[in-house]
Amino acid sequence: MALRFEVLGRFNHARAAQLTLPHFVCQTPLFMPVGTQGTIKGLTTNQLEEIGCQIILGNTYHLALRPTSELIDELGGLHKFMNWPRALLTDSGGFQMVSLLHLADITEKGVTFQSPVDGKQMLLTPEESIQIQNRIGADIIMALDDVVKTTITGPRIEEAMYRTLRWMDRCIAAHKRPHEQNLFGIVQGGLDPVLRDICVRGLVDRNLPGYAIGGLAGGEDKDSFWRVVAQCTAALPEDKPRYVMGVGYPLDVVVCSALGADMYDCVYPTRTARFGTALVPEGVLKLKQRAMAEDTRPIDPTCACMVCKNYTRAYIHSLVAKDAMGSQLLSYHNLYYMMQLSRNLHSSMVQGRFPEFVCSFLQKMFPKGDVPEWVCNAMEVAGIDISLCCAPFPSTQD
Amino acid sequence: MSSSNSIHSSAMKFAVKAWSNGRARAGVLHLDCCPTPIDTPSLLLSTRKGLPLFISPDLLPSLPSPDSHLLHVSPLHFLEGLSMTTISKIGGLHQMLGLHEYGFAAVPRDSIQCLPEANSTNKVGASFETPCGRLLIKPAEYMEMISSLRPELWATLADEVPAWVSDKRNKTSVDRTIKWLDECIALSPTGGAVFGAIVGGSSLEERQRCAQEVARRNVSGHCSFVDMR
Repeated sequence: MALRFEVLGRFNHARAAQLTLPHFVCQTPLFMPVGTQGTIKGLTTNQLEEIGCQIILGNTYHLALRPTSELIDELGGLHKFMNWPRALLTDSGGFQMVSLLHLADITEKGVTFQSPVDGKQMLLTPEESIQIQNRIGADIIMALDDVVKTTITGPRIEEAMYRTLRWMDRCIAAHKRPHEQNLFGIVQGGLDPVLRDICVRGLVDRNLPGYAIGGLAGGEDKDSFWRVVAQCTAALPEDKPRYVMGVGYPLDVVVCSALGADMYDCVYPTRTARFGTALVPEGVLKLKQRAMAEDTRPIDPTCACMVCKNYTRAYIHSLVAKDAMGSQLLSYHNLYYMMQLSRNLHSSMVQGRFPEFVCSFLQKMFPKGDVPEWVCNAMEVAGIDISLCCAPFPSTQD
Repeated sequence: MSSSNSIHSSAMKFAVKAWSNGRARAGVLHLDCCPTPIDTPSLLLSTRKGLPLFISPDLLPSLPSPDSHLLHVSPLHFLEGLSMTTISKIGGLHQMLGLHEYGFAAVPRDSIQCLPEANSTNKVGASFETPCGRLLIKPAEYMEMISSLRPELWATLADEVPAWVSDKRNKTSVDRTIKWLDECIALSPTGGAVFGAIVGGSSLEERQRCAQEVARRNVSGHCSFVDMR
């Protein structure tokens, strides 16, 4: 175990904590930008520090292909390679393998696939994944799990869940740096509460430094999504971090935080920026729209980022989809937005005003009071009263 | 060539500090907007729609200062997606780009995407090949852009031709450039330093003729266009 997790504030299931990792002391809830190839597209590590980024996610699959984990190790690890002084998390490589490679095949041994480099048959085993991650050197590493899309039904889900537990033991055995790197287990089981429960208990038995809730954020309906998160957070240990993988819509982050999750990752903020979409309190702002060409307001008047302080929607509109600087500036704003959201979640819980923050967040996003039913249901389970923002004709209040 | 050693305008002051044995000279450029003076010879950073291509604006200060405080702007870039009315409403280049301590030098063409199209230029305006198609820019239109953008320095509109044109075409380019020089000066906004454009291809005579005509007008500097192809 190479981390400390200390809860600083609570509201029912929700908690704000201090997560001490080898490279950085973090505050949760937190969002982790995805730096696929050892870089966040469009931002330097200086800028990431400036906007308050605490942990960055690196993709084992991409890094193992280029420039290889051996080279990264030789050069002193990923922190040094990408000049990032704070914390890093690497995933196992399994998800990319399954989602990117059409000819991937999962057996008890591991994931067999065709190398995109030379077409050779390759095998990613739990042992190999951990070895690669040991070389890369991130503060948190992920076990190789048998990931199944939640839209799939049938015995495959049960098979994947039990295999995930068996592979967990192989990952633990293969892990050579438990005092420098934290190996998180991943809860699988599809949308089946019985399977999820078995998996949670199995992972908790192994006494891991932290736990991730996997297999979500893949097209399942929102109602199923929050119920799985709620079930897992209720069953996972209080004193260890909980990471919901692949979650990045601001609304989803707020709901999962209300249910007791601590960490999130997603490509959404940066990817949507490259398509000209900005994250704002009201939802999204599509800068490509013609109306933006004459709009001299900032993207978000309440945002303190470099982009909103200096640029108008009109100027950004002239850049998006045509000039790289447009993507860069929007990526900067969107990540700043997610960092600010993380800070707001943490501080509102520490200061004892989390329900007020949630209400204010929902009111801005749903000014007509049309909060989606799944959110209302989730907040009820979370014990947060959002009746004021769910009213069909809300009275004007802050 | 100008024989004075210093030049003043409301936004710009230039003085020669030292001469070499030949024609080379070291100078210093003071711009009201820049906190420190700029040594010359100086390189202009190329931009796309006003921002450097290779570095985001918040990271610009990490470049050596003050030499990287002069940015080249092509007004033609803004024709794609931003009206001059909107730019004026925002307040010009400094306000629009959030770069208050940088000096902008506006020259119609850039070195990559907005290139003069000599075959299409006529007596009415200069033609450019741009990402939004071929554009014919008249002096009045050009000056409207300059008035909205409000750069510290700007070059007058020129009829740039490649080195292989006929003598007749070359001479015409000088005649037009001088005519447009006067039209631009007549429409010049207050506050910017005018740089007279000098063309003439590889004909020493034409270059001299053009330079002499420019020197006769009250300009702050000269902008020589050289065909590098």
